[in-house]
Amino acid sequence: MPRAPDEPRRREFLKQGLALGLAVAAGQALRPGRLVGAALNPDPEVPNEQVARILRDLFGDRPIRRGHVLLDMPLVAEDGRVVPVIIEAPDLPMTTENYVKAVHLIVDHNPDPYLAAFDVSPAMGTLSLQFRIKMKRSTWVRAIIETNTGEVWADYARVNVSLNGCG
Amino acid sequence: MNLTIGDARIRVPSRIQQGDTIQVHAIVQHPMDTGFFRSADGQPIPAYFIKDVTVLYADRQVGHFMWTSGVSRDPVVTFTLVADREGPLTIRWIDNQGAVFEQTARIAFSTT
Repeated sequence: MPRAPDEPRRREFLKQGLALGLAVAAGQALRPGRLVGAALNPDPEVPNEQVARILRDLFGDRPIRRGHVLLDMPLVAEDGRVVPVIIEAPDLPMTTENYVKAVHLIVDHNPDPYLAAFDVSPAMGTLSLQFRIKMKRSTWVRAIIETNTGEVWADYARVNVSLNGCG
Repeated sequence: MNLTIGDARIRVPSRIQQGDTIQVHAIVQHPMDTGFFRSADGQPIPAYFIKDVTVLYADRQVGHFMWTSGVSRDPVVTFTLVADREGPLTIRWIDNQGAVFEQTARIAFSTT
């Protein structure tokens, strides 16, 4: 079989892909305790002073680290009036000694970004919440949880909204 | 089916064994008006939404949710619960005008 003229470039491309894969794997190894994949993307920037103040009021200068939480939302929300949200933390304990205390949902570009808060308890057995929200436009959504020991964990989802849900 | 504001339903599994982690589904009828819209004749529709949800299981508070008008109309919520005792599961919704809506499901264990 004759070799395609672009073969060297293809080789180069494959090598780069391998190198990237190794770098990602190394990055994962350096972050024990995080869910796989969580460390791949940078955290979304805080978009404005309103969201910055919400985060400051809730968490002070405690670090908000990505991990342990899963925020499941559609990539594209066809109707901004009804966007499903699932928040779970399957690997965090829910015992009387160690448990998730609160869950906060922040929608960056909604008129009222701090959309909902949930005080939860060990009686729930595991953290798993599902509900539906309104979204004004395409934006990042932040699910941030607090444990009883004061740790703060987060997951983020970028949702593209086709039909505005806030008028 | 004609539903009015405050009608609420709770769904739990039909068969529960002691110690099961069950899923609880709850819905309440409510317009969840944001206050950003106007009616057809141009009058602003004031904000009118559920702002506080309390979950009581066998007289213990197991959850407390704080909502805004950003939650979709006729709000649903699904959460888990460890069914460790028999007793009532009561959910109480309070809106921003102070109205209280309540619904109760019974947690009872299957004998087989």
